[in-house]
Amino acid sequence: MDNRIQETLKGQMQAIRHSSGLMLLLYPMKGFSTVYATFTTDLGSVDTGFKTQYDDDMVDVPEGVAHFLEHKMFENEDGDAFEKYAKTGASANAFTSFDKTSYLFSCTDRFEESLAILLDFVRRPYFTKESVQKEQGIIGQEIRMYDDSGDWRVMFNLLEAMYQVHPVRIDIAGTVESIAEIDADLLYRCHRTFYNLANMVLCVAGNFEPEQVLRVADRVLKPDEKPIEITRKAWEEPREVGKQLVEQKLPVAAPLFEFGFKGVSGSRKENLKNQVLDEILADIICGESSPLYRRLYDEGIINSTFDSEVMSGRGYHCILFSGESRKPKEAAKEIAKEVERIRREGIDPELFELCRRAAFGRYIGLYGRPESVAGIMGAIYFSGEDDICMPLETVFSATMGQMEERLEQAMNPEYSALSIIWPVEE
Amino acid sequence: MSNPLIREKICDGVHFSSVTDSKFKHNRITVNLVTPLDKKTVTANAVVPFLLRKGCRSCPDFTRLNRRLCELYGASLSCDVAKYGGNQVLELSIYGVDRRFTFDNMDVTSQCAQLLAEILFEPNLRDGFFPEEDVKLERQQVVDAIESLMNEKRAYALSRCRQTMCKGERVAIEKYGDIEEAKALTPEKATKAYQALLETAQIEIIFTGCGDPSAAKEVFSKAFAGKHRQPILPAVQSYGIMPEGRNGVQEAEDQMDVAQGKLVLGMRAGEIKDKKALMATRLMTAIYGGTPSSRLFTYVREKLSLCYYCAARFDRLTGLMFVDSGVEIANRQTAQEEILHQLSLLQAGEFSKEEEQAALLLMQNSLRSVTDSLGAIGDWYMTQILYGSCDTPAQESEMLGQVTREEIIEAARRTVLDTVYFLTAKEGN
Repeated sequence: MDNRIQETLKGQMQAIRHSSGLMLLLYPMKGFSTVYATFTTDLGSVDTGFKTQYDDDMVDVPEGVAHFLEHKMFENEDGDAFEKYAKTGASANAFTSFDKTSYLFSCTDRFEESLAILLDFVRRPYFTKESVQKEQGIIGQEIRMYDDSGDWRVMFNLLEAMYQVHPVRIDIAGTVESIAEIDADLLYRCHRTFYNLANMVLCVAGNFEPEQVLRVADRVLKPDEKPIEITRKAWEEPREVGKQLVEQKLPVAAPLFEFGFKGVSGSRKENLKNQVLDEILADIICGESSPLYRRLYDEGIINSTFDSEVMSGRGYHCILFSGESRKPKEAAKEIAKEVERIRREGIDPELFELCRRAAFGRYIGLYGRPESVAGIMGAIYFSGEDDICMPLETVFSATMGQMEERLEQAMNPEYSALSIIWPVEE
Repeated sequence: MSNPLIREKICDGVHFSSVTDSKFKHNRITVNLVTPLDKKTVTANAVVPFLLRKGCRSCPDFTRLNRRLCELYGASLSCDVAKYGGNQVLELSIYGVDRRFTFDNMDVTSQCAQLLAEILFEPNLRDGFFPEEDVKLERQQVVDAIESLMNEKRAYALSRCRQTMCKGERVAIEKYGDIEEAKALTPEKATKAYQALLETAQIEIIFTGCGDPSAAKEVFSKAFAGKHRQPILPAVQSYGIMPEGRNGVQEAEDQMDVAQGKLVLGMRAGEIKDKKALMATRLMTAIYGGTPSSRLFTYVREKLSLCYYCAARFDRLTGLMFVDSGVEIANRQTAQEEILHQLSLLQAGEFSKEEEQAALLLMQNSLRSVTDSLGAIGDWYMTQILYGSCDTPAQESEMLGQVTREEIIEAARRTVLDTVYFLTAKEGN
């Protein structure tokens, strides 16, 4: 790749291991007003079993514990974290995904004060029997709300059909039954294990000076008493999908579908690289420039809501196509047929080149905004990479040979499944 | 840092503006066709951007056009319909990486400008009209947009309140127009609307990004050269003052299949003489119901648990303020009383220095972040241009900081309730 581009993008990042043990990834962006900070731990909904070097046995935790913990962290003896942020003007949030929990804020002023709030509250757990019970009610409501959401159900029904044992098949928030098993002791244990600084990363991008972060980190962060090594439960996920078709009725305006190809999960580093390549692949199969997209659109089988996504993390990797469709089964059949055809006849080199260029432009965009820079630094770090340009480099050097190899491995219609949400008949 | 806006006239009723900032990696060019809202033209106008997005002379079909965008490093071409005060604004916009971030030194920006100009001036017409099948497909987009407004109960209630309050005025017309008219759109009607827009709309072309805008300006100057236009000025009218002859507060109610009621209070912000007064009304609205630490949020929602949401917003282009809330049907009266009670407290000066500070902090934060996004910069200056000013977000932030307590109280006292609208459940439910 052009060295100028790499130098421009890389030159700004500093990786500093703080004396407390926390990795700091800092990316000052000249001229921006906003600064965006994320404090992330390597704990997500798929971590349903783990042990440390001090435990004899694996501990199995109820589904949804990572998300529950995230909710509870905002509450402390001295008040709510949001109230503290209100005094600095920062806007704050948090989210739990399949394999990460992230706490974040953005601001344009009083950055050090907000950073001190972030680094303090995430490390200071405070749970009581009463507060855990109250949260069980609140999250229970949240789960029920998602039970009615067509977009949410169409995806989780698909994951449940594709994966037979891996916990990616379970809703991130768990179930009403599973979260009923959570108590304060368990939350403390999870916090001790996963919110250890060696298991976390702080990513900051935008309008700030690295010295500011170091100053706050020195003042607020206390090293952990002992280092922790985590062993996670491994899953023997079969290659085959559990079910090829899953259907449900919900009050939606038009039928929704999601069609997924179950891939083979590799190391975290491999998964990240394959994710980038498979995005190009999905574009070749049914992106807006592909012959298939045109045909399905003109025949009214798909509409402008149609999209693709590559989902990849610890122990799972899949390519998903989704949207509204009056003929969802036909849409899936046509996609599978096109995949078969391209597997047989090969990829159109011209279309590959177009999709590669488009992906390059898209990835450049990720390096242009504080929030996406912080996101990409975190993803790179947890995959075990250290080069922030790795995704862009992967796009740049992608070859037809790689594409054909990915098509072979990640898109076999034999390992695909279809999820449909039908409207409730009036 | 962000440079100030430079705005030049390139044809009758056509301006090219640019805001550049070296920190970005992309450039964005937006063509805004501004036209006063009019029942007769609004629906046919609304389909025009969707039809233009389908193709142009050099890329006559959707696939060819998308492949061209891939060549331009995945540049994104989007279209939208917006409403600014009493105007309908049809937007066509292209967004692509700057030359410095291409691997073959491609001049993406000037090629994007050329493509956008071609989309605007050389659509894919058949025998002089938009193709029948395209019109059929794209008018459905307009129908869907109108229907989704019906399904979005919060937005629907707001729109109904505005319609009741400003009956017969431009500002009461919805940006996508009427559903029956949308269903009846023909190639002839759509083409006629397109041609009328090119002749009469005020056109604002805005370039934002890190590159040099001169090539894009050149492209559009050439494209407009020799065109004889008869531009119609955008509608500028404030509705802040109570119309004559209005006696008492108007009430309106609709019944729909809803579980939760939607209460909207339409208010008029009074005579806003200058920017100082404008800033005071902005800050007053934020203290009243514009932030998570505002009066409406803390009292009506958190402390009294009367609403699921309760917020106030003020639109400088119309002088109107709306308070909207989602409320249990049984709580409607109590919620309404509490919302008005909170306004009367502001009018009596019963608010703290801390509340004032928190609101100011949050507004200044959001003003500062405007300059970090190409889209937000474009939207900011469109509002400025239509308001007849040219302030930077930093200048506005400074003016907000100078607002005094007395001015906030004065702004609250100018504000009067005009219409109460309630969307409630069907009887018997």
